[in-house]
Amino acid sequence: MSTIAAGAYGRRVRAWGLGWLGIALAACAWQLASALAASSVFPGFGVAVSRAWRLIDGPVLGADIIPSILRTLLGFAISAVLGISIGLVTGYWRAAREWTAALFAFLRSLPTPLLIPVALVIFGLGGRMVVAVIVTAAIWPVLINSANAAAGLEPTLVDTARSLGLRGPTFFWRVLLPATSPQIFAGLRVAISVSLAVMVVAEILGGGSGIGYFIANAQQSFDIPGSYAGVVILCLLGWLFDTLFLVIEGRLLSWQRGTVGGEHDV
Amino acid sequence: MSEPVLAVDSLHVTLRSRDGSLTEVTDNVSFALAPHEFVSIVGPSGSGKTTLLRVASGLRAPTAGTVRFAGRELTGVVSGISVVFQEYNKSLFPWLSIRKNVAMGARHLTAEERGKRVTEALRQVGLEAFASRYPWELSGGMQQRAALARALVSDPQVLMLDEPFASVDALTRGHLEDVVAQLWERSSFAALLVTHDVGEAVYLSDRILVLSARPSRILAEIVVELPRPRAQRQTRLLPAFAELEAQVLERVEEAGRAGVRDSAVQPLAPVTPDRR
Repeated sequence: MSTIAAGAYGRRVRAWGLGWLGIALAACAWQLASALAASSVFPGFGVAVSRAWRLIDGPVLGADIIPSILRTLLGFAISAVLGISIGLVTGYWRAAREWTAALFAFLRSLPTPLLIPVALVIFGLGGRMVVAVIVTAAIWPVLINSANAAAGLEPTLVDTARSLGLRGPTFFWRVLLPATSPQIFAGLRVAISVSLAVMVVAEILGGGSGIGYFIANAQQSFDIPGSYAGVVILCLLGWLFDTLFLVIEGRLLSWQRGTVGGEHDV
Repeated sequence: MSEPVLAVDSLHVTLRSRDGSLTEVTDNVSFALAPHEFVSIVGPSGSGKTTLLRVASGLRAPTAGTVRFAGRELTGVVSGISVVFQEYNKSLFPWLSIRKNVAMGARHLTAEERGKRVTEALRQVGLEAFASRYPWELSGGMQQRAALARALVSDPQVLMLDEPFASVDALTRGHLEDVVAQLWERSSFAALLVTHDVGEAVYLSDRILVLSARPSRILAEIVVELPRPRAQRQTRLLPAFAELEAQVLERVEEAGRAGVRDSAVQPLAPVTPDRR
């Protein structure tokens, strides 16, 4: 038992170590390529990272980085709440599903960049526009996953809930939401990376501030290391969000160990 | 006979299949369940046993006819009727511990009272040591015992069992039958068991209703007057047991043959589960 556990632990440490080794190798490759290219538009890894560090440790943190984080999180949160509630309701009730299927298919095929000019007209430059555009894109993975999960709910589970007298809001919170949570989380994980990507695009086109705005500005004023530094910060944010997300998911879905696939790590 | 706790009167159920065609599942079914009576419904597969049970429990409205529970017409689910489903692995809530699953059956009680009743219900089915486990950590038989505890924690007047032992192995099945028999003997609820296992029906019941093939009617009613308490080996070895089993089996086979003949003339349309 303990040797098995140690084996699993050893495997995890190994995977973790190899992961970082991969990153280190990629960084070396970047540095080497930059040295070989010897071009002013292709700074090395060291230059980009040290510049990124100075950005995080300077006024840019409050002026651009934090606003971007807040916009991403707010857009993601609104997408999550709307996506889950609309998705579960339209997925669960067949009539709602039939009424909305075509409408949702149209709406979600709209390319997000197309909406940015419209959002600019409605909200003007700045944070509200960025958040609105994030929601138009990030809501779909959540909504579609929630709707599919609700539509595929086990009839026996529904009968059980009904015979136990669970209905209305109690049914929603105590049965529908937990029963569909694994698929909802899969949708949320996609939504968080979509939020981040859309945040940058919207900020480049009209954020007024934020990391995307900073990158566009740096590029236009020939501050090439600056725009690379912005990219490095975005990567860090993406990694941070995903890691945080997995930790929260692991906590909330701990009951799921062993229920899927049947096989699990001892 | 005292006033029945559950009375099903001239029940007709018609289901609409996906392509819109209608299938008559039951045709004029009437029966009653006396307080603390154990009645089984047996019949060939596809005879609409499960549909009948869903209607009798208030999960589904009948097309015509009535179900009366405790003297009042049933219009939906009521707290006095509990149901145990065949698919225990889909009926227990996988995100809740066994204890919390059982507590879902007693939500109307105060926290203190609920705690006491849940502990008692778990003790009765021998799962007190597994209260904090999740359903997937338990064997099939244990999961079905947990579902039983959840159904009985609310102290129902009627317990409905929809082929509750069909998904477990033979040994576990015998054990579960005894668990149900003991719970029933110690308690005051009436039981309505749907099963395709004739031996099981004879072993547990006071009375057996044999359903015909679709559209189903009650083909025969067989009273089981075996002594109680019953025990797997002793009861099943009684000559009367074998006689009753043969008698019921004969009626079921008769119904099955009639069904095959009918369906050869008029194939049954696939029926979609009637949800919402």
